[in-house]
Amino acid sequence: MIKKIYLIGNPNVGKSVIFSRLTGVQVISSNYPGTTVEVAKGYLRLDNEKVEVVDLPGTYSLDPTSKAEEVSVSLLKEFPKEEIAVINIVDSTNLERNLLLTLQLIGEGFPVVVCMNMCDDAGHRGVHINIAKLEELLEAPVISTCALTGVGIKLLTERIKEAASVPGDKLTHQERWLEIGKIIEEVQHLEHRHHTFREIMEDASVRPVTGLIMAGAIIYAAFKIVRFIGEGIINHITDPVFINIYQPILGKLSTYWQEKGFWFHLLIGDLINGKIDFKQSLGVLTTAPYIEFGMVLPYVVSFYFILSLLEDIGYLPRLAVLLDNLLHRLGLHGYAVIPVLLGFGCNVPGILSTRVLESKRERFIASTIISIGVPCVPLQAMIFGLLGKFGGFYVGGVYLVLFSLVIILGIILNRSLPGYSPEFLLEIPPYRFPPLLMFWKKLYFRVRGFLVEATPVVLLGVCFINILLYFKLFDFVTAIFAPIIHDLFGLPKEAVVALAIGFFRKDVAVGMLMPLGLSVNQLFIGATLLAISFPCVASFVVLAKELGLKGVIKSTLIMIGISIIVGALLHFTILR
Amino acid sequence: MKRISLVQIKSNEKVKILEILGGSNLESKLLSMGVYKGKPVVKLSHIGLKGPVVIKAGRSILALGHSVAEKVIVERE
Repeated sequence: MIKKIYLIGNPNVGKSVIFSRLTGVQVISSNYPGTTVEVAKGYLRLDNEKVEVVDLPGTYSLDPTSKAEEVSVSLLKEFPKEEIAVINIVDSTNLERNLLLTLQLIGEGFPVVVCMNMCDDAGHRGVHINIAKLEELLEAPVISTCALTGVGIKLLTERIKEAASVPGDKLTHQERWLEIGKIIEEVQHLEHRHHTFREIMEDASVRPVTGLIMAGAIIYAAFKIVRFIGEGIINHITDPVFINIYQPILGKLSTYWQEKGFWFHLLIGDLINGKIDFKQSLGVLTTAPYIEFGMVLPYVVSFYFILSLLEDIGYLPRLAVLLDNLLHRLGLHGYAVIPVLLGFGCNVPGILSTRVLESKRERFIASTIISIGVPCVPLQAMIFGLLGKFGGFYVGGVYLVLFSLVIILGIILNRSLPGYSPEFLLEIPPYRFPPLLMFWKKLYFRVRGFLVEATPVVLLGVCFINILLYFKLFDFVTAIFAPIIHDLFGLPKEAVVALAIGFFRKDVAVGMLMPLGLSVNQLFIGATLLAISFPCVASFVVLAKELGLKGVIKSTLIMIGISIIVGALLHFTILR
Repeated sequence: MKRISLVQIKSNEKVKILEILGGSNLESKLLSMGVYKGKPVVKLSHIGLKGPVVIKAGRSILALGHSVAEKVIVERE
């Protein structure tokens, strides 16, 4: 009787795609090792029984070498072997490397079904595998699948029951590789192929000169496309909807509103020159939805469009190789680009994915750097909205300050923290092109995730702020911090509220700066401070979970210290 | 015979793994990724002076940090 099904396999073989296919639970999958850092669970119907399916982070062997691998191996041993089935997912294009884990699983007596995934890609690359022969040699069911298109999934579910424990053996790794060599000899046939265009591009991207040229071009293009799509959505979709449809409705509503009291203030906010101004009115029905849907959402869509594309194609590990040198000086290694890039979307998944880094020291440095120097999409979208009209100089300035901070802070942390950074060892996946449907699904999943998490916080946040402002409850806090804000940072005392709101949501906080009538230099300082000062509450919770209490206190002190230094420095250099 | 590491050979050279220095942890990690004694590999590239070395082992492409690559001793065919 199978009570639990585990999915296990090398990193980047498509476990998460198989998991989604089996359970219908959507999880993020990409083309790089280590996408799954958390264990995902779902259910599969098997002979009218609901069986739990667990998607484990990828591992190369049953002797774990990283935190994510440790999790996989310990979970696998939680239940007696008779009550579980293990689906070992194998990359058909690279059978040899994958077989070590397969043989270990069988050797340890786990009931295994081998799932030869990416069978179509193997065919394209001239790799032919004799499935029947492999099944005979392994003494376990072997099923050929292509998870992206769904081929073989039905057969896989039918044959899970056949998984059975066979008498184990205890070979050393070296002996196993000999055995694998023999199996490969018998079951795999490689067609001789000339280098394809794809392979030439794969090689070029990891060579020093061509690699750097490609990286420069890709990053530049990515940035341009994000701006193009983001602005396109704003100019052609969201702004017309807000201005031509939504504003007249609200305008009618507010003229019928005789007494402009508490509720008017809460829902509509202040009228600017007798009219509703989506950027400045600060009401639950005006500024709140405009910030969320009219300014941030378009960029969330465009950013994740590009990020998902780069992820799925398999470009990010190549960027990691090229940046390894630079990141080493910050106490990290090349693979830290993945958490950093995810952090540009939202700091929460960024900090979570620092788990792909091996040591606690690296995870501390990476998480701290992300919290301070990596602005999330909502924040960036608002910075563009706030400073964009004054020219690229100011927007670029914010990024320049943040980038310099990351470098300086990284160097200091690397020199001052005890220990050393472990070495870089990474498998580079081949380029792959995901089917469009899968790509849109992932984009939809991420955008929906943003809406579900951000909308209530933004609406409630603006509501809460308005109540506090209406009853003048902020005055107390403002009075305490006004001297710091004013004398040290050169900002008016009302900016205290905006900086405090930054703890809840960065986009709303930048929005709060808009009605204050600040000079462009003051806006620049305010926006920079919001970016570095403190992560929002959601990132903070994750930070505490990942770093522990001591780590998070240390990280927070660094953030506060840096905000004060940078704020004061900017104030005295550009305002005076 | 002179002991050479992955760092010292040129790009596109075909070599065989002779030994992996630097403790059993690194050895078993590389072993689990398919880089073990006697395995033929090709060096694809070397990024910068102290940067990572990219190799092809079987059908996998692996990037090894500079100090890892220094510990992988190889012999020319």
